Amino acid sequence: MHKLGRSHRDKVQQVMAITGASEKVALQALKASDWHLEGAFDVFYSQPHIRTYTDTRHLEELYQRYKDSYADMILVDGITLLCNDLQVDPQDIVMLVLSWHMKAATMCEFSKQEFISGLQGLGIDSLEKFRERIQYMRSELKDEQKFREIYNFAFGWAKEKGQKSLALDTAIGMWQLLFAEKQWPLVDHWCQFLQARHNKAISRDTWSQLLEFARTVDPTLSNYDAEGAWPYLIDEFVEYLNENNIVQKSQMEDPARR
Amino acid sequence: MGQMGYYENDFEAAMLKDSAAYYSRKASSWIIEDSCPDYMLKAEECLKREKDRVAHYLHSSSEPKLLENVQHELLSVYASQLLEKEHSGCHALLRDDKVEDLSRMFRLFSKIPKGLDPVANIFKQHVTAEGTALVKQAEDAASSKKGEKKDVVGLQEQVFVRKVIELHDKYVAYVNDCFQNHTLFHKALKEAFEVFCNKGVGGSSSAELLATFCDNILKKGGSEKLSDEAIEETLEKVVKLLAYISDKDLFAEFYRKKLARRLLFDKSANDDHERSILTKLKQQCGGQFTSKMEGMVTDLTLAKENQTSFEEYLTNNLNANPGIDLTVTVLTTGFWPSYKSFDLNLPAEMVKCVEVFREFYQTKTKHRKLTWIYSLGTCNIIGKFEPKIMELIVTTYQASALLLFNSSDRLSYSEIMAQLNLTDDDVVRLLHSLSCAKYKILNKEPNTKSVAPTDHFEFNSKFTDKMRRIKIPLPPVDEKKKVIEDVDKDRRYAIDASIVRIMKSRKVLGHQQLVMECVEQLGRMFKPDFKAIKKRIEDLITRDYLERDKDNANLFKYLA
Repeated sequence: MHKLGRSHRDKVQQVMAITGASEKVALQALKASDWHLEGAFDVFYSQPHIRTYTDTRHLEELYQRYKDSYADMILVDGITLLCNDLQVDPQDIVMLVLSWHMKAATMCEFSKQEFISGLQGLGIDSLEKFRERIQYMRSELKDEQKFREIYNFAFGWAKEKGQKSLALDTAIGMWQLLFAEKQWPLVDHWCQFLQARHNKAISRDTWSQLLEFARTVDPTLSNYDAEGAWPYLIDEFVEYLNENNIVQKSQMEDPARR
Repeated sequence: MGQMGYYENDFEAAMLKDSAAYYSRKASSWIIEDSCPDYMLKAEECLKREKDRVAHYLHSSSEPKLLENVQHELLSVYASQLLEKEHSGCHALLRDDKVEDLSRMFRLFSKIPKGLDPVANIFKQHVTAEGTALVKQAEDAASSKKGEKKDVVGLQEQVFVRKVIELHDKYVAYVNDCFQNHTLFHKALKEAFEVFCNKGVGGSSSAELLATFCDNILKKGGSEKLSDEAIEETLEKVVKLLAYISDKDLFAEFYRKKLARRLLFDKSANDDHERSILTKLKQQCGGQFTSKMEGMVTDLTLAKENQTSFEEYLTNNLNANPGIDLTVTVLTTGFWPSYKSFDLNLPAEMVKCVEVFREFYQTKTKHRKLTWIYSLGTCNIIGKFEPKIMELIVTTYQASALLLFNSSDRLSYSEIMAQLNLTDDDVVRLLHSLSCAKYKILNKEPNTKSVAPTDHFEFNSKFTDKMRRIKIPLPPVDEKKKVIEDVDKDRRYAIDASIVRIMKSRKVLGHQQLVMECVEQLGRMFKPDFKAIKKRIEDLITRDYLERDKDNANLFKYLA
């Protein structure tokens, strides 16, 4: 650090304090961003492979704390305990993000492998670090690309093992959770529509295309392409919105123009 | 020497200009004063005269130029006004069947560029209107029928089909004669018919109407009594109409169902006609369309041979003889419509028949499974009534019910149902036919017009009829719903197969194009609904045949 000027030294300290990175990593990030603090944070957070050193013994201890008494995995009780420790509601969306990091196969359980590798990837080997990372995980939802990955991950994670489709109730629950973050104005109508008209499980294709629909089509449906390859359920939703006058039919003919 | 410079520049140009001006003046007054036919007569006359003039005193090279000018002034300029003249224009001529005027119109308008397009258009509109009027007429007649037999295709619908055939004959003649077989008019006729031929009448689709029409011609005692020649001609015309119907697969299924009834209940009037229409259908719609039906007809021929061997078997194995004359028709499952087989409790006498045949059949082939469809069988039974002994021709179901009365004088509805092991629907139907219809073989208590689960039945020993032998019909169950269900199911498979075929060869394809190609591929048999195609695409995605492109959701990729 000797060769750095005072302001640069300060910045390195700041980055280290906030991200928990080592001096070396903090320095790298700052150099990469031309010594702009915010840029340095971007650089740091956008590198998914940054692994800070995690102590495997500590990880093993953590696992043992939550592991089920009979099975070699973490089940509902363990997860509840974890949530308590983290001071996080079990329904909090950050648990989904955590599961995503772990590449958990199914909700409400973590295998040992999933737990350990997930925590390693996040640079966590103690409860304290764990708590600190919560904020970071929340922030990941703001990133468009990551949100999409987490959203699509949620489908496989939330459905029953061995099923190809996601039960409607679970899907609606997940959508409400996810779109509370993303702020899609039509989410409630979508859920109502499904309960009234569809009443069947949701396919993976419909799930993933819904996100695209929410992202690209504006709530007045002005740029909705009826000839497009939207899943049939989404076409029906648009019809439902038009029929119930939730959205005005596209005004293509302006009578004033005649 | 020999060049036309002076002729063309000094004379012809001026001549052409003056002629044009002359005809322009004439046309502007004629168009107001004359009716369309009169105007056309004059126009034709003018053209003829100009042609003669050229022949008499002008150079032949002037002819095309002069005629073109005249045509332009007389026809092109006033084309729409002429065609749309209110009481004498194209519409009116068609309405009043003015064949000669229409022929003239064709001759004249074919000379000017794009002259025929509006004529063909008016023709198309006219035919469409006439056809649609027929549909409405039939629809009105059908809905005014009071309540009964709403689901059965009735007389009105028969009349409707006849009228459509007549309409077709009339306008095909127009296309051939007035319009000199021109493709534009063939196309107009086709499009017009496609519009109204796909409208149903009285709740029945046009596919069903056509199939029923054929059935009436081909069955014994059908409503149409025609000579052989007339039958052939009519069948030919019906097949031509089929070309306009988009739901050809629906027609095929209805036709197949009715063919099955004709064949199995020996109701077919004439074998040659049956084969003839199949040939015509094959020519029009391809071999796949008729392969099952042909199989059905063949099955019957084979069945006759089989029966002969069976009878031989019986003579050679006297102890196997069940004591009743038995005829069995073995059907190849794939060809015939699907029939539900119910586990009817056969009377003891018949049980032996079934066993004997089964043994015989085992001697012929070991690898086939026989499923008995009792709902399709018929029985001749002798009824010992007090006035006289009579022979009754009934279905197997009815026979089984009647034989119960050999051991009991009086039976309740529930006893009958329990003994026969049939559904309520079947029991009500069959008991109705025996106690509430024309021939009352059983007495019903109470003597109401319909069968209730609380009724009781007794053998009517006093029953008689002037004939010694009577047929007691059992009206068939309405097949319409099942046919439509079966066709929808087949369509889903067909759409799946088509999508997979297209994607397998194209590997990557946009949504719009995939849908278009699918519609084209399947067009021969039916018009697939866009929504249905979308649903199948999504199903195929779920089944991992296809996936969406990661960057463009409108693009699909084939997954090997």
